[in-house]
Parts: sequence; structure tokens; C-alpha cells
Amino acid sequence: MTTRRDFLTRTLGASSLLAVGPAVPDFLASAARAADQADKPKDTVLVVVELTGGNDGLNTVAPYADDLYHKARPTLGLTKKEALRLDDYCGLHPRMGDLKRLFDEKRLAVVQGVGYPNPDRSHFESMDIWQQADPRRGQASGWLARTVPGMTVKGAGVPGMYLGTDRLPVAMQGADGGVISLADRSSFKLQLSGNGVARKKLVEDLNADAGGPAADLAAFVRRRQLETYTSLQKIEEALAEAGGGDGRVPPELNVTRGFRPDDVRGDGLNSLGGRLGLIARLIGKGLGTRLYYVQHDGFDTHSGQAKTHGDLLGQLSNAVGNFLGMLGEHADRVVLMTYSEFGRRVKENGSRGTDHGAGSCLFVAGNKVAGGLVGKHPSLADLTDGDLRHHTDFRRVYATLLDDWLGVESRGVLGDRFEKLPLIDATKKGPANPGPLGPQPVPFGPRPAAPDPIVK
Amino acid sequence: MAALPALDLQKTDPLDALKPWAPTAAEPWDRVRATHLFRRAAFGATPAEIDRALADGFPKTLDRLLAGEPDAADRTEVLTEAGKFYTDPANLRAWWLYAMVEGGHPLREKLTLFWHNHFATSHAKVRSTARMFEQNVTLRKHALGRFRPFLLDMSKDTAMLVWLDSNRNVKGAPNENYAREVMELFSLGVGNYTEQDVREAARAFTGWHHDAEAKTFENNPALHDPGEKTILKQTGRWAGADVVRICCDHDACPRFLAGKLYAFLVSETPPPERLLAALAAQLRKTDYDLAGFVRTLLGSRLFFSGQAYRKRVKWPVEYAVGAVRAVTPGRVALSDLPDPLARMGQVLFAPPNVKGWRTGTDWLNSATLLARNNFAETVALGQLSRDPVRRGPVRGVEFARPVPPPAFLTPNGAAPQAPAPPVPLDDHDPVSVVYATKPKDVPAVVRRIGELLYGEPLPAKAAARLEAFLKEPPGPDLPPRAPGGAYRLDPPDHVGLEGVARFTDGASNTYRLNEDGTVVLGGRKSSTAELLGGEPVAVAPRPRVAAVQPPADAPPPRGVRPPPDVNSAEFKARVREALHAAMCLPEYQLN
Repeated sequence: MTTRRDFLTRTLGASSLLAVGPAVPDFLASAARAADQADKPKDTVLVVVELTGGNDGLNTVAPYADDLYHKARPTLGLTKKEALRLDDYCGLHPRMGDLKRLFDEKRLAVVQGVGYPNPDRSHFESMDIWQQADPRRGQASGWLARTVPGMTVKGAGVPGMYLGTDRLPVAMQGADGGVISLADRSSFKLQLSGNGVARKKLVEDLNADAGGPAADLAAFVRRRQLETYTSLQKIEEALAEAGGGDGRVPPELNVTRGFRPDDVRGDGLNSLGGRLGLIARLIGKGLGTRLYYVQHDGFDTHSGQAKTHGDLLGQLSNAVGNFLGMLGEHADRVVLMTYSEFGRRVKENGSRGTDHGAGSCLFVAGNKVAGGLVGKHPSLADLTDGDLRHHTDFRRVYATLLDDWLGVESRGVLGDRFEKLPLIDATKKGPANPGPLGPQPVPFGPRPAAPDPIVK
Repeated sequence: MAALPALDLQKTDPLDALKPWAPTAAEPWDRVRATHLFRRAAFGATPAEIDRALADGFPKTLDRLLAGEPDAADRTEVLTEAGKFYTDPANLRAWWLYAMVEGGHPLREKLTLFWHNHFATSHAKVRSTARMFEQNVTLRKHALGRFRPFLLDMSKDTAMLVWLDSNRNVKGAPNENYAREVMELFSLGVGNYTEQDVREAARAFTGWHHDAEAKTFENNPALHDPGEKTILKQTGRWAGADVVRICCDHDACPRFLAGKLYAFLVSETPPPERLLAALAAQLRKTDYDLAGFVRTLLGSRLFFSGQAYRKRVKWPVEYAVGAVRAVTPGRVALSDLPDPLARMGQVLFAPPNVKGWRTGTDWLNSATLLARNNFAETVALGQLSRDPVRRGPVRGVEFARPVPPPAFLTPNGAAPQAPAPPVPLDDHDPVSVVYATKPKDVPAVVRRIGELLYGEPLPAKAAARLEAFLKEPPGPDLPPRAPGGAYRLDPPDHVGLEGVARFTDGASNTYRLNEDGTVVLGGRKSSTAELLGGEPVAVAPRPRVAAVQPPADAPPPRGVRPPPDVNSAEFKARVREALHAAMCLPEYQLN
């Protein structure tokens, strides 16, 4: 039975007429096309997923074959049967089927034993160290912010984008004008206080007048203005498509496991899956942004860890798997990395949780990622203050992604040279066949339009 | 927009191009040229300053710009005293903006800004407003002085010493950071020195440190390498001051500086070789007399030609301060500027790295251009010190906030209520500036807008479009963004209502929703089963209803409407909006 509300939403409400012109005005579209063809700088994209709160690396990549592990984790430890086998020693958390599939397809690198010397166990301090990429705390800006000045960006693209409602993450602070926050639906738009419809048209009309030679500086600025308005339109479209507010399930949330119906009820963009899906749409629309940053919060599991942690890892795994699936033809130019401010204590505590620890593991995923385990699992027999010892400085991961993926000289960003890791294989061909565990591939693109009830 | 007369630099003798410009009947000292000069030599001009410049004539105006106002020295002294006490970088930023606007010597402030970018040092690493302030005073002191003592002072500047790790540069373990930048970025440019020169210069700078509290320069002879060094082919037991001298003696130095100053004051299109050589020769001949050099550039035929006119992208500081000065009647709280400036990509005292800001067309990307457009809106609507401009993302708000029902779709076809435009703050209201010349009609208002923003009339087409806009009554606001690309109707029980749906592109359509499950849209009846069931079908081209009966109290149709009363409050609201649109023309980003 269709309710009145549904009826209205689906007839009037869903009609494209009521949306803010879903089609980019012609002159904007042609200007943007011309600009797209004019310059073809490097357009690789890095998506950074912050696992906020300190992810328990030992239950993410579990050394199931190690007796010391089961001794330290009597209630939380994952058994050989549970863990999704990566090698004879360790395996992924059972909720991470998608990541296991990506691992099997050699699209996921599991970097082990990552950290920094004299680890700080404060959330805030350690987060700052990771985000400023400086354990000595001499930097005031974030490592992604410092990446911006050396990075080429297509057209008028915004180099970096943060999707979330908190203040800009430290990693992106200090790149003035190079990073925007897509915090809510009104955060990136042309400010027109009153009489908006007529004024938007006026501003567009004034900029549509393409006089003067193409080499002229004013013509360049005009093109940039048009590209800006087009970017606004693209973001608006992507938000509209990804929102799921019309009762349909947008494809990025159409997952088989770990799916919460809440994700779809108008606030789909509040989940990691929704935000990564939005990023996939923005990439698909050729927005030009090369750095994206999202957060997945809740990893501070001091008590009752098993369920919470499993849910979070399940959401992460689904979201990442789905994200790579949505990218379609753009998948070859996107790499995603996860990180957390620290891992957790080896020995579980008395409340079936874990306390703040040190070194941990992180994931790097993408078609051009040289998949597999990178580095040995840190030894459980050789602990410092009850924590795993790291053997890989986290800045080696950054340096690799900067030099080998983004094409930005890492020394300038990190202030020092770091030995690179075998993470990127630019020569790699597309993905292997999706494994049996994966969700059905989701076609990328806008959903089919609802029938337009306005007829001649 | 009108350009100044062309000057073919390939054909013109550079010495001719650099000859002093003098007004003639064909090329008068007029508003176009005066605003051009003030955009470059100052941070734009207030209407009163332009009037005075036109009354004074060109030579006197140029003299005044170079010398500053008679009381500039006093003002600088007061400002300098005040600047010592700030501990928050945000306050220091506002302080400098005040110095630019109120210091009585805008050209010197402009050059101080240039040198801040040249010797780019950031509070992000220095972590001391006092040191950044002191460096700023040094930049100001030498901005129109001579380069040799300038470079020497900068080599001993505490902020610089911290910034480029001078204390790590010691005998036996030299740190090349400063030695490299002094050649690459401060004096010679890439390609004019070798790696060996850098290593040797680093040795010469060993021992030039700051004290333990990073408060002052300290020469530490015990850590100085006194051995022989060969720098740029000169051999001796060189110390820091020798490196400065050797760099300034090098032929690349005047060329490098001439090129950078040319880009800042004249054009971002690099000068032809002959012209650059002539400019470098002047710097060399005068032993880096910077004021004389700036006078040559700003007073040249070249400067008042198409070669220079609108050939630079405004730096954000020039854009923001210039906009405020051009259209705001009262004194504006300049502490409201650093936030929008950050969004435009320029945080004073915090350039991104030692290379400085990426200038020219790199200033403009979607985010920074949008920030400029939005700042212009705030200024044009007289809202600068109201908080929206400072508003960042709101913490804790849901990412996809549910939206309220659209205001532009009302039941029963009633004309949507246009939201009242925000009330401008009195001393920020640009209307009083626009109306200072008492414009009588719409074209006069548009002419005045062009004069204020550009120093010349707007292009005919843009002017006509603005006039048309000004004659229109206000329309609906843009609807808020909604999830799913659709706007919900709320409350949900509008069935049975009929009305006119007004769309954002100006189109409208009638609808009637019936209890029996049928819908009448645009005059045609459909069944809901047809609309809701089955597969989605292709969307037909959008129909437009030609004649929707206007509500009784609607204004008369287009063409019959009487000319608007230019002194009405409603018209003035349109004027602010038109002013904003005129600030979104591409030319407004250019200097």
C-alpha cells in the first residue's frame, strides 16, 4: 500500500524538475569538457581512512598460530578456525570477508609492525604524531597538507577533501585553500543570501560571456570560475545520488553483510560505507580532488571488545570492498590506506577489552597495490611494556605513497628520506576475478531516474 | 573591458619601454590609470583617494606613494610599538592588515608583503609571534631600501635562523638548509650555483646561530669552520657575511630580483630578455636601490600599457583588502579578514613552505575562487562583521542533515514568500558608497558599480545584464539541498491540494492531487498506477506551461513595469546583490 507521503515523494518529489537542475548548464558542461581535455596531469587519488580510537591490530590480523597470542587473549583471541587465513601464522578477523577477497586478488597489502619510536599512548598526542608525520613534534601542519603544494591537480580541482563533521583533521591542516571540508550539505556552495535563483543565474550569465583570446588571463579566470561552478554542481549531484533519502538503497549501502537499515534512512552518508561511496561518485564525476580523508570511529575498545570491534571491522571491510567495486573504470587510479593512532595492549584486560598499545598493522588497498603481507608479524615474545614492538616506521608507508603513488617528493613533505616499501606496482593489470565472498559488483553511476510525471 | 594601449615588447627598445610615462591628451591621467596604479602600488584605493590622485596629477601621486603620507613615520612607530605585544598569530595577522590600511605607506606594506613571500618564513615552525613580528619589522625596514644590508639582516634574523635550522649548522657537520635557500630562493635562483657552492657556503655560515631561547642572533665562533672555502669561484676564509656579499656581487642576483619584482609589480608574463637585462642593469648600477627600481617600474610607459594592465592575479590579501576599501564606507574590523583569507589560500606569517605561496594562476582553484566569490558576497551585502563569514563546519551536526520542506513550493499556488535579504551593517553598507554620486536611474547605478570596482565602465553586455537584474523584483531563494536529489513534501498529507509548483529554473507547473489516486499535472490526468508501477521510463523533455495564471497581487507582466525607484529599500537590496555579481566577473580576480 502506497502512503500519501510515498506517493508525493515519488511523483512530485523524485522528479528531476524539483531538483536543482540535475544537468549542468550547457555552457558549463562544454567549458568543463574543454578543460578536461586541455590538461592531463597526474590524477592518482589517495583515500585515507582514519580508524579512530586505536584499532586492535592483534584481532585485525590475528596470529592465530601463536600460543602466546591465545595465552594473552583468553576470551578475545581468534582461533585458526575463525581467522581468515593469510598465511600459516596469521589471519584476518572473520568479519573481514571483503578484505580477505581483496587480499586473495592481490589488491590488498597488509603492512605489519608499523609504528614509531617511544610510542605515545595518548589518543591525541599519538594522532597528532601520525597526522603531522613527525614523532619529534616539530611540524605544525599535517602531512597531507604539506603534500598539497607539490601536487598537480587537474583543472580547478580542489586538491584535498575531508568528509566529516569534525574540525579539519590535523593531517589536512595548514593547506590553506587546498583542502575543503564537506561537512554537511551546505558547506561547499556559492553563498547567496536571498533572491538566490535570480542571482545564481546572473553570476553564471556574467561568466558565460566568453570574449577575448583563449591565452588571455581573464579568459583563464573565466574558465576557472566555470569549472568552480561545475564542481559545485558535481558535488551537489553526488550528494543527491548518494544520499539515499528517497527510500531507495544507494548501491554503496547495498551490501550483503554488516548492513544496518539505519544507514539508508536519509543519513546514509553518516556511515563509512556511505562516505566512501560518495567519494567513489566524486571520483567518477572527475572532480579532480586527489586526497580524500574519512574517519571510522569507535575503536577505543576497553571493554566488551568482541562485538564492537567485529562490527567496526565488518563495516570497514564491506565499505572498502564496495568502494573499490564502485570505482569501475577509475579503480586503477585510486589507492586507499587505513591507519589508527596506535594498536592495543597484547594482554587483554579484565573487562574483555584491551588497553592502549603501540605498533600495529595497516591496510593499503587498490588495483595498483602490490598485495600481500608486508613485513613480519611483530613477535609476541619480544614486547616493550607489554606492547608489540614496531619494525616499520609509519613514515615509510607515507613516503612510498607520496613518491610511488602521488608523485610528490616525499623528502620535502616528511623532512627526511625514508626507505620505501613494496606497496605500489604501477605496471599491474586490472583485478583478478572477484572471489566468491565478495558482493555482487555494483555498477557505478546514477540510479535510473524515476518516471517523470510531468507530461505534455 | 578596455585595455590600456598595447606596447609590443618584442619591437620596443627596453629603454624606451622603461622611460617615464607622462599623461597626454590621448593617454590622460584618468580613473582607469589611477586605479591601476593603486591596485599595484597600494591595496586598491578608496573613492576619495582616487579623487585626490586625479586632482593632484600623476607625478605628485607617484611621489606620495613612494614616500608615504607625511605622518607615515609616526603611524609606523605607533603600529610597531603595538605589534610587540601580540602572542596570538591571529592578532598579528590582523595587526599587519591594519598596517597595510592605516599605516600611511601602502606601497611599503605592499613590498613588505612581497618580501615576506620572498623570504618565506612560517610561524608553523618558528612558533613565536615575537620573532615573526621582528622579522616583519626587518622586512618593512628594508622593503624600499637596499638589498645588500637586507640580505645580511635576514641571514641573521632569528625567525629565519629557527626556520632553516641554523643551529644545526656546525663545524664538521654543516647543515645546508640556509646556504641552499640563500642561493636558490633569496638571491640567485636555480641553475646559478653548484652543489659544491652550497656545501662551501654552509661551512661559511657555521656558527651563525640563535641563542638558546631563540630570541636573538648569536655568532658562535667555537662552532665556526674557519677554513678556506671556494664559493661561486671566489676563494677565502669566508664567513656568513662573505656569502651574502658574494651572492650580491654575482650577476644572477640582480636578474633574479628584477624578474621577481617585475612579476609582482608589472606582469606575470616574464619580460623579454632585453628588458630583463635592462632592469637588472639598473639594480646593479644603483647597487640595489629598491625604491628607485620600484619607481622606474611603476612610473614607466610599460606600466601604463596593455602589457601590465590586468596582467596579474590578485593575491588574496590584495583581493580582500582591495574589496573592502573600494565599497565599504566605514572602517571595517580587519580581524574579520584572516579567516576568509585562509580560505582563499593566504595565511599571513604562514606561507606553505620556504618557496612561498604559489602565486599567479595557482591562486585560483575551485575552493579558493569560491572563497573569493563568497567573501565578495559578505562584503557586498554589508555583512562582513556578522558571523556567517567566520562560520566553519558545525561540530556534531549530522553529515546528511534532513532538510526542511522547500520554501518555494507552497500549497494552493500562493506566490512564495521571498525571504528578506539580510540587513546590512550601517558602516559596512556599500550602498552608501554606490549612492555617494546620487545616481538617478538604473544605468547610472551600474556605471557607478563599474567605476568603484574597476575604475571604468563594465562591458556593455555585462552592464545590460546587470541593469535587467536590477529591474526585476526579487525571486525565490535557492532551495536547500536534500537527500536523494528530491525535495520532500512535509507534512505528508497534501493530497487533494492543488497548486503551482515553482521550479528553480523559473519554470512552473500546475498540479492537482486527488483522493482517488489520480494526479493532474500540467492539465493532463494520469493514474498513479501508471506513474508508480512498472519499470522506470525515459524522462520526456521538460514541458513548460506557457500561461500560468498569475496570482491577483502579482506584479504586472514584464515590459509594462514602471522603472524602479532607485531610492527604495528594495532596490538598494538589489544593488548590493548586483554589486556582488559584478565582483564575480573574471576581471575582478586580476590586478
